[in-house]
Amino acid sequence: MPNKTRPIEKFAKATAQCSAEAAAYGKCVVADYNAVQKDMCAKEFMRLKDCYLAASKKI
Amino acid sequence: MSVRHFLRRAALPQRTFAATTTRHYASQKPGNPVLEIFNRKVKHVQKDRAAWNVDESRKVDYLKDEVAMRLCERLLDIKRDFTNVLDLGANSCNIARALTTPNPDPDPEAGSSAPLATRISKLTCADTSRALLYRDADLPFNQELAIERDVIPDLESLPYKPNSFDAVLSSLSIHWINDLPSLLEQVNTILKPDCPFIAAMFGGDTLFELRTSLQLADLERRGGVSPHVSPLADVRDVGGLLNKAGFKMLTVDVEDIVVEFPDTFALMQDLQAMGENNAIMHRQLGPLSRDVLLANEAIYRQLHKEEDARGIPATFRLIYMIGWKESENQAQPLQRGSGQVNLKDILGGGSFDGT
Repeated sequence: MPNKTRPIEKFAKATAQCSAEAAAYGKCVVADYNAVQKDMCAKEFMRLKDCYLAASKKI
Repeated sequence: MSVRHFLRRAALPQRTFAATTTRHYASQKPGNPVLEIFNRKVKHVQKDRAAWNVDESRKVDYLKDEVAMRLCERLLDIKRDFTNVLDLGANSCNIARALTTPNPDPDPEAGSSAPLATRISKLTCADTSRALLYRDADLPFNQELAIERDVIPDLESLPYKPNSFDAVLSSLSIHWINDLPSLLEQVNTILKPDCPFIAAMFGGDTLFELRTSLQLADLERRGGVSPHVSPLADVRDVGGLLNKAGFKMLTVDVEDIVVEFPDTFALMQDLQAMGENNAIMHRQLGPLSRDVLLANEAIYRQLHKEEDARGIPATFRLIYMIGWKESENQAQPLQRGSGQVNLKDILGGGSFDGT
């Protein structure tokens, strides 16, 4: 299957276009990584996810 | 009646129910308790699946080939001919491939010595996955060494007779064994006396980057943690394990191989193509959710990526071990303090302040 891109490759490509959002989310989690709680960085994550969803439509 | 006595009596009725439950002596099961950490069936399926995609599977052999080469370098130090050698958990016979490549001498003028395979009469490659074991059966290296491929149902109970091998090698397989002490004992049994067991396995801090970032991603997205990276043996444990299995003259050393990947997806894809994906018994089944994958990618980069590196690092910690089966006329280590020559005279060197 040379022409078919695997879903994970598509996923990787789309994520790569959101490096700024990913860095913001990463910083938020890592800033306090000894006391991570659920949805601690929900806002940053939603921004990252929106960016990824928009990018994956274009691929 | 003292106040104290009165108080004790008043408190008594509340406690009576606790006194009526009786505790029985817990019976103990015979034999060692066996912990099932890894799901052997799942591992088998993963290895088969990985090997069916021959091109992908060959592409990700970089790690297994490299470790097999380094393992075989240790064989160079043993000046001996081996008639019958077992490769335990052979994967795609990476050790056989390494044995048939010529060994370049550190001194370039000396050229390269003959491949190690010339000293080995027969190599038995044993693994559970037929697809992986026979993947490279028609490649040229098979002609240079007498290889017998042996598909065994289970790596944890070896179907070989005692005292039948002149050496047992194992590269990157025994980190999936549930009962390592029992396996090492079996290896000791099937070896002939005064013969070596040489193995390399993943240990300790292998993939600590992925382990930590997935934990953080799991915590932040789902509020809980499920194991994604195997628990591994530590260097400190290996010496004790070998000792307990009856091996003598142990050598254990550690090496870190850091591989750079473009992103976490490439890392996970490669692990899957190697057949090294998660096979822990009690884990959340099914693939990781996209949310966790997305979060993991961001956290991994933030936590572990070097400032000016292009990709992300993944550390593989390799534990190499050599143990010899006991024999009567085996070389013995000398008594402590019995040395006649000062090592300083041979190796040179001076005091710590560099004079």
